[in-house]
Amino acid sequence: MSGGSARSLAKGSAPPGPVPEGLIRVYSMRFCPFAQRTLLVLKAKGIRHEIININLKNKPEWFFKKNPFGLVPVLENSQGQLIYESAITCEYLDEAYPGKKLLPDDPYEKAYQKMVFELFSKVLTNKKTTFFGGNSVSMIDYLIWPWFERLEVLELNDCADHTPKLKLWMAAMREDSAVSALLTEPKVLRGFLSLYLENSPEACDYGL
Amino acid sequence: MEDATRALGKGSQPPGPVPEGLIRIYSMRFCPYAHRTRLVLRAKGIRHEVININLRNKPEWYYTKHPFGQIPVLENSKCQLIYESVIACEYLDDAYPGRKLYPYDPYERARQKMLLELFYKVPHLTKECLVALRCGRECGDLKLALRQEFCNLEEILGYQNTIFFGGDRISMIDYLFWPWFERLDVYGIADCLNHMPALRLWTAAMKQDPTVCALLIDKNIFLGFLNLYFQNNPDAFDYGLPC
Repeated sequence: MSGGSARSLAKGSAPPGPVPEGLIRVYSMRFCPFAQRTLLVLKAKGIRHEIININLKNKPEWFFKKNPFGLVPVLENSQGQLIYESAITCEYLDEAYPGKKLLPDDPYEKAYQKMVFELFSKVLTNKKTTFFGGNSVSMIDYLIWPWFERLEVLELNDCADHTPKLKLWMAAMREDSAVSALLTEPKVLRGFLSLYLENSPEACDYGL
Repeated sequence: MEDATRALGKGSQPPGPVPEGLIRIYSMRFCPYAHRTRLVLRAKGIRHEVININLRNKPEWYYTKHPFGQIPVLENSKCQLIYESVIACEYLDDAYPGRKLYPYDPYERARQKMLLELFYKVPHLTKECLVALRCGRECGDLKLALRQEFCNLEEILGYQNTIFFGGDRISMIDYLFWPWFERLDVYGIADCLNHMPALRLWTAAMKQDPTVCALLIDKNIFLGFLNLYFQNNPDAFDYGLPC
């Protein structure tokens, strides 16, 4: 399975050729959480695939022919069929390929998974107010902020195209006095994480 | 119509369990989202019972069916609850035999789901137009935005050169779109379809479909409901039912 660590294609790049038979292609970006969903399913089901990474800050013109929205992930098969929207690509792979089914067979259990996913997606995208609880910071924002602070440090926020409201929320949170008073410097967090992953007893005191 | 029953409100008795062989839908006679699920129930010939909910005066017990008290919700005889109109429609297609509304081919299924993404602004825009007109406000910008969304759908039909969104026969995606198109006239924004021949042809073809016809809401009754609804009259939801 090639290309996961290949340089991204940007404006001015030549469009890739057709997808060879027996393979499916995913247009992706190494740090995009939405594309990661599709890569997970490809991996879990053992589907032979090739990866073309797209420079989301400098998109190739030809990429809009693959997805009019210009977003990753997009699947392209050897018949030239294109599928986009991460959840739709994942379900397509589960249906089109043999092996372990990731979605349950039982209609209710399948519906249940989709209901849970909808609730999760609503939290991410249908937010109509700046903060999760309204127009000013409240408990819910403080409860979820720590995970987002860490995501930013690990540079997983490059898919802001998908979630401009989330990007706005993160910016607004940084202005909050409590949040800014407790912000950890990115390199300190990264330093901690390195040591932590090595099980070092020094991890917890990193930066002191 | 199966759903010609009075809406249950605060203080009403919670309904009992759903008898075997039946599925229940919690609904409201004029709600477009519930309309989708009722179309699928009808199209597949699924035996069902309808409980209408008074959305302005919800029964306390209804929050045990949906955490935010929304409709539609399906409840089966195993006490399983399914909500979100699109998920409910797909559940019915999967769980019940007979005519499949979604295609069998995984790519064609995915295509219908991608088409649904193109539709996502329509419900909000049609509602905003309705509210603006009912409150005597101008809604030229909103109508323009809605027309833009319709243009995208018009392009799809033009490119596909088919009558329906899924091909030459009606399928799930058509039923998922239909409720908002049925409401354009009664909302006063039917002119948003001007100069869109493919969409007009589609609308005409949809009105010939027996399922769509069977559930078509009488214009005068709908107007009566809208008048009462915008006057905040709690009896709005029962408008048109025999006394």
